[in-house]
Amino acid sequence: MEKQQFDFVGKDFAIKNVGKVTGKEVYSGDVSIPGQLYAVVLRSPYAHAEIKKVDYSEAEKMGAICIGPEDVPDYLYNERIVSIPDKTYRDRTVLPKDKVRHVGEALATCAAETEEEALAALKKIKVEWGRKWKPLVTLEEAMEDEAPPIHDYVYLGEEKVKIKNNIACTRDIEVGDMERGFEEADTVVERTFSTPRIYHLQMETKSAVCVPEADGGITVWVTSQGIHNVRILLGNIFNLPLNKVNVKRVTLGGSFGSSIQMNSITPICVALALKAKRPVKLVSTREDDLYDHAKYPLITKLKVGAKKDGTLTAAHCRVWVEIGGHNIQAYPYLGCVAGWFASLYRWKNLKYEGKAVYTNKVPTCAMQGYGNPQINFAVESLMDILAEELGMDPIELRLKNYVGKGEEFWGQGPTVRSIIRSCGVEEMLVEGAKLAEWEKRTLPLEKEGEIRRGIGVARGFHTSGTGGPNPGETIDYSGATIKINEDGSVDVLTALMDHGGGTWEAAAKIVAEVLKVPYEKVGIYNVDTRTTVFDVNTHATRGVYCGGGAVKYVAEKVKELLLNYAATLFKDLPENLELSCNHELGQAVIYPREIPENYKTLGEIAEYAHITSWGTLAYTATLRQKNCPPCFITHFVEVEVNTRTGEISIPRAVILGDSGTILNPALWEGQIIGAFSRGLGFALLEETKYDLKEGKLECKGMITDYKIPTTLEMPKLDNLLVRSAHTYEPTGPFGAKGIGEAALSSVGSAVANAIYNAIGIRFYELPITPEKVLKAWKEKEREESQERVGDKLNEY
Amino acid sequence: MKKTEIEFTLNGKKKKVEVKPSDLLINLIREELYLTGTKYACGIGECGACTVLLDGEPVLSCLTLAITVAGKEITTIEGLAQDEELHPLQRAFLEQGAVQCGFCTPGMILTATALLKEKPQATEEEIRDYMRGNLCRCTGYVQIIKAIKSCTTGGEN
Repeated sequence: MEKQQFDFVGKDFAIKNVGKVTGKEVYSGDVSIPGQLYAVVLRSPYAHAEIKKVDYSEAEKMGAICIGPEDVPDYLYNERIVSIPDKTYRDRTVLPKDKVRHVGEALATCAAETEEEALAALKKIKVEWGRKWKPLVTLEEAMEDEAPPIHDYVYLGEEKVKIKNNIACTRDIEVGDMERGFEEADTVVERTFSTPRIYHLQMETKSAVCVPEADGGITVWVTSQGIHNVRILLGNIFNLPLNKVNVKRVTLGGSFGSSIQMNSITPICVALALKAKRPVKLVSTREDDLYDHAKYPLITKLKVGAKKDGTLTAAHCRVWVEIGGHNIQAYPYLGCVAGWFASLYRWKNLKYEGKAVYTNKVPTCAMQGYGNPQINFAVESLMDILAEELGMDPIELRLKNYVGKGEEFWGQGPTVRSIIRSCGVEEMLVEGAKLAEWEKRTLPLEKEGEIRRGIGVARGFHTSGTGGPNPGETIDYSGATIKINEDGSVDVLTALMDHGGGTWEAAAKIVAEVLKVPYEKVGIYNVDTRTTVFDVNTHATRGVYCGGGAVKYVAEKVKELLLNYAATLFKDLPENLELSCNHELGQAVIYPREIPENYKTLGEIAEYAHITSWGTLAYTATLRQKNCPPCFITHFVEVEVNTRTGEISIPRAVILGDSGTILNPALWEGQIIGAFSRGLGFALLEETKYDLKEGKLECKGMITDYKIPTTLEMPKLDNLLVRSAHTYEPTGPFGAKGIGEAALSSVGSAVANAIYNAIGIRFYELPITPEKVLKAWKEKEREESQERVGDKLNEY
Repeated sequence: MKKTEIEFTLNGKKKKVEVKPSDLLINLIREELYLTGTKYACGIGECGACTVLLDGEPVLSCLTLAITVAGKEITTIEGLAQDEELHPLQRAFLEQGAVQCGFCTPGMILTATALLKEKPQATEEEIRDYMRGNLCRCTGYVQIIKAIKSCTTGGEN
């Protein structure tokens, strides 16, 4: 491990977030433009129905501006353009042209002087419906031969593809010889697991404000994890030159993957503004938002073989995902699930078969992990089952088989792979076991009483970005412009987004560290697509590693310019000059290495560069990272299961993370704890259920009926331990890798393993609700009592 | 609908506005008075993001009719800091890493302000109970609870 002394990296500063505690931070819904109209959206009451006609003439008579299916461009697109075009399935238009494919799909829209007027106009829109089909709610019914096709044809890149049995796409991968691997096994275990379709419930609902400009272009403020992709998509859809679409970067009110794609309301708002020739503001209601996105669920059939000593020999993994009415990139999702699976353990011989299936439900997309928590639940549950069969400690089995340093990690499916160079897995399992007092754990049989306590362990990871030695199917680069102002303050212009996890803080610290400028003198402000170079998205836990990596690269170029210029002032060679931070002066200083007292401040140099017309010390570039290092996580979770009520509480947890160098300690910990809370929701509470007959969301757009964790579910402050591994990622900015999505990946698995340890019942389906616990517990009691009666009779 | 003129105190300053009987306080604050720190996140009283203080008591501005605040005193997040000096809770939220995306933060801080007024010595248990109606999806609440705890008398600050 490389030891480095940092001025700013790894220190917490509370400066950047001031707007968020004073109410001054601007989110897309906070933008108001003089003369703006307010827009509302008409949504389908049917899950699968033919649209014959949408008549909004009465609504327009009231003064509203309206858009219906006939008014939107025919252009078919995929709202998530992170993958290369050839691997991008396109199946949607701004509003559906022929039929609706899920309840709540946008159908028409109105804009008026006030929201009230817009809503009144919306009620006047008449929809003439044609044929209605039975909603296809489950994966099984959607794949039946007689099931109505949700899409007949879609496009893969430029190729027209026929959809059969509603199967949107498939992905099959083989490594080694699976059959032979199973023959070599002494023990084979096989189980089926499923994880729920949950809702992101980011606090900010998706919003957009669009201003049509005099030159025919548009300016858009939008909820997004990547403003440049929104620019490209809007340009393509509305046939506008890409320099005439300007997308403003505003703060994101949480997202968790739900705005990697351009959200469905964004082009609707743009279409209205272009027609109205006036600014339009569209703020989704919570119900609107629930119809826009959900997490990909997953069914996994997993078979694993191992030798007596625990060495794995083969795995067969089959997965099915029902994706809803549109395909927001299920193809890379299937690839990523394969990658997370392949990179967890040394299976040696593996076969993976994935299928994505259209259903008449809300379209699904990434949500913190892109399949990682889903497949992790299957693998980490099965590792515990296997350990029990082999009579091994679950930690020992994991230590024996995990993929670590020097081995290959699939960072974004089979086409983006790199060699692991930093790995804290062993340290975290061993240290975590000590902290969690793993050796004191008892077996389910040894427990008694109404409330049973158990402990479980699970480990996971996520990639840091989607870069590999060779570019794969995913676009991944970031960029920045960095300039030193005339007083020595620094501006960083980057399209890099921050979910709130600290990406901007990290980027500012990286610049401060390279240029030795005090952190508070580095500004990262809200910019737009016109003033920044491309950044793909803050997704795939790439913010710090890829975005930060690009920022560091540009900062180093600025440093070069600075030293070259300073050399002319000092009449010396650049390599003889030293740059350091003088904390007393609150300034970066430059001096000849031999005579530090002969320093000039960065402010003096910048001012001198200005008055001598030397020019601005500035640089612009983009950078592609050529690795995808995994950030690892380990969860030790204790549960208390109330066998009378079925309720589960979490008295204690020990969480260990491996992010290499940690740039923002408080926010790093915050991300781990936040993911733990969301993981508890995934494990114990959350699911968007649908009624099977009409295909409607059972929560009806309300979050009271879609429960997420509150302050009450988390362990007490003293009972939640978060620790960091001691690692350094040689390819990352100052040794850093990511954390975000890794932090969630093994929460559900650890909770399920802990529940098994508490009550001896293995759950294969998340969420593990009190109803499921109670039902399983009663069955277990009945079986045990029958066994007791049977044993008694045997005595006679 | 006929508009009525009402007068109330907003962040220490008298305001006179015309409202319809159906106007919601959240829309008055955000769309008419441009104080966008009060957040819309559910619109039906489920999440606490739109919390403001009405005569010092936390209320959900998405469920409050604007007309009912006549003669009363409203504090929004913008009115909490005294001049340039942040309120201790605002500072504590920043220092403890209790702010991530920031969308729930105004409601959290205002609810916590009311809590500390009611129970200056609130225990961890009391903080959790009082804050349970304010949803946060980013932080997992722990650092929020720590920040509030640090502002109790006998807390760490």
